[in-house]
Amino acid sequence: MSHDLTLTINGTRQQIALDDPRVTLLDLLRERLHLTGTKKGCDRGQCGACTVLIDGRRQNACLALALSHDGAEITTIEGLAEGDTLHPVQAAFVAEDGMQCGYCTPGQVMSAVGLIAEGRAGTDPERIREGMSGNLCRCAAYSGITRAVLAAAEEMTTTKGERKTA
Amino acid sequence: MSAWHRPASLTEAIGLLAEGGVVAAGCTDLFPATRRQALSGPVIDLTRVAEMRGISETRGGWRFGAAVRWSEVLSAALPPAFDGLKAAAREVGSVQIQNAGTLGGNLCNASPAADGVPGLLTLEAEVELAGPAGMRRLPLAAFLAGARRTALAPGEVLVAIHVPSHAAAGRGAFLKLGARRYLVISIAMVAARLVVKGGRIDRAAVAVGACGPVASRLPALEAALAGIAPEDAAAAVSEALVAPALAPIGDVRGDAEYRGVVAVELVRRALRGLAAEGMR
Ligand SMILES: Cc1cc2nc3c(=O)[nH]c(=O)nc-3n(C[C@H](O)[C@H](O)[C@H](O)COP(=O)(O)OP(=O)(O)OC[C@H]3O[C@@H](n4cnc5c(N)ncnc54)[C@H](O)[C@@H]3O)c2cc1C
Ligand code: FES
Ligand code: FES
Repeated sequence: MSHDLTLTINGTRQQIALDDPRVTLLDLLRERLHLTGTKKGCDRGQCGACTVLIDGRRQNACLALALSHDGAEITTIEGLAEGDTLHPVQAAFVAEDGMQCGYCTPGQVMSAVGLIAEGRAGTDPERIREGMSGNLCRCAAYSGITRAVLAAAEEMTTTKGERKTA
Repeated sequence: MSAWHRPASLTEAIGLLAEGGVVAAGCTDLFPATRRQALSGPVIDLTRVAEMRGISETRGGWRFGAAVRWSEVLSAALPPAFDGLKAAAREVGSVQIQNAGTLGGNLCNASPAADGVPGLLTLEAEVELAGPAGMRRLPLAAFLAGARRTALAPGEVLVAIHVPSHAAAGRGAFLKLGARRYLVISIAMVAARLVVKGGRIDRAAVAVGACGPVASRLPALEAALAGIAPEDAAAAVSEALVAPALAPIGDVRGDAEYRGVVAVELVRRALRGLAAEGMR
C-alpha cells in the first residue's frame, strides 16, 4: 500500500509516495530526497542534530513521522543560503567560530533560526543558552555557538525585512 | 504496520481505535520508547482531532485539548494561576520537544517525572476521556494510576483537560531540579498555587513530583499554610509536613533520602518565590 503526501521543502512543492508509513521526516530527507545536510545523531530527540523548521517551528525530524506533516512547509539547512550568500546565522557561525567538527552545525543553525524567529530570547546570552539547549555539541563549541547566535540575533533585528526567507 | 490514519474528529478516532492500533500525538515519548520499526498495527495520529485542539475559557473554567503542544501552553494568554504550568512547559525537554510534545501525551505516558502533572494537580485538573462506552470525567489524581499506568480503558482516549474556574485563582509556580540546568529529566519537582486575601493565604495547593510513582498533593502542608502571611509560608514548611505524602524512589538520578531533602527545599523556594511576587 502506498501513502502519498505533499511537502513544500525549501520552497519547492513535492509529491512523495511512501511504501512504509513509519518513515520519519529525517529518513525521508536524508535517504529518499538526498538532502543529507540534516544530520542524524541520536535518532531519539536528545541531540538536536536533525533540527528542521516545520511550518516555521523548529522540531526534531527524527521524532516526526513524515506522513503526519502532509501539507507542511519544511526548511532544512540546504534552504537557508540564497545562492552564494549565506544566511546571517550561517555567516555568524563562520565569523564567530561556532563549530569544530561541524556535525552538529546544521542542527545548531536551524535551531538558531527558529529561536530568533520566536523572538523571545532577544540578545540575552542566558536566554540564548536556554533556547539552544536542545542542541548538543560533542566538541563543546558552546561559547562560539552562543556568540554566533547572539551576533546573528543582533544583526537580524537591525536588518529585519531585507531577506525573503526564514 | 501498514496503516496510518489522521482522523479529524473524535468519533472517527474512536471508531478507528476500536479496530486496534496505537494512538500517537507528538511522538516524543512514543518514538524513543518504541523503535518505530517495531510499531505494530495501525498508527492513529490524534494531532488533527478537532476536539483535542486549542485552549479555551469555558463556562466552568479552562479547557485544554489533549493535543495542545507545550509551546502553545507557553504562549497562551492565561491567568497567573497557570504560571506554574507555563514554567513547566518551558522546561519540558527543549524547544524542539515543546513544539511537538503535547499535554495529553505527557499525562498518558504517565512517567513519574512528567513535568505537567504537579502543576495540573494544583489546578484541580480533571480529565475528559472518550471511548466506545461514551464520555467520562475523572480527577487527574484518579486518572494517574501508577508509574506508567493510567485509568484509560482499552479503546479510550484522553480528549481534554479541564481546570475549574475556582482553581484558576491566585498565582502558581513550578520548580524542578535536574542534574544540569536545561534539557533534563526531573529528580524532583514542585508546583504551588496560592490564593491570598487580605495579606493571608486563603487557599494553598502544593504538589510534588518525581519523588514517588505518581506526583501528589500535600494536604497536611496545605492546611498548615492556610491563614498565614505569604512571607511566612516558606518557614512553615517542615520535613514532617512534606515527607508523609511522598514515597521517594531511588534511581540513577538520585537516592530516596536526597529526594526527600530536595523536595522540602524546592517547596520552600517555590513559596518564597510566590511571596516575592507580591502575593497580597
Ligand atoms: C529529549 C527529550 C526530553 C524530554 N524531556 C521531558 C521533560 O523534561 N519533562 C517531561 O515531562 N517530559 C519530557 N519528555 C517526554 C515528552 O516529550 C513529554 O512527555 C510529551 O509531553 C509527550 O507528548 P507527545 O505528544 O509527544 O506524546 P506521544 O509520544 O505522542 O504519546 C505518549 C503516550 O501517550 C499516548 N497518548 C498520547 N496522546 C494520547 C491521547 N490523547 N489519548 C490517549 N493516549 C494518548 C500514546 O499512545 C503514547 O503511549 C522528553 C522527551 C524527549 C525525547
Ligand atoms: S537525531 Fe534527532 S535529536 Fe538527535
Ligand atoms: S562541532 Fe563537533 S559536534 Fe558540535
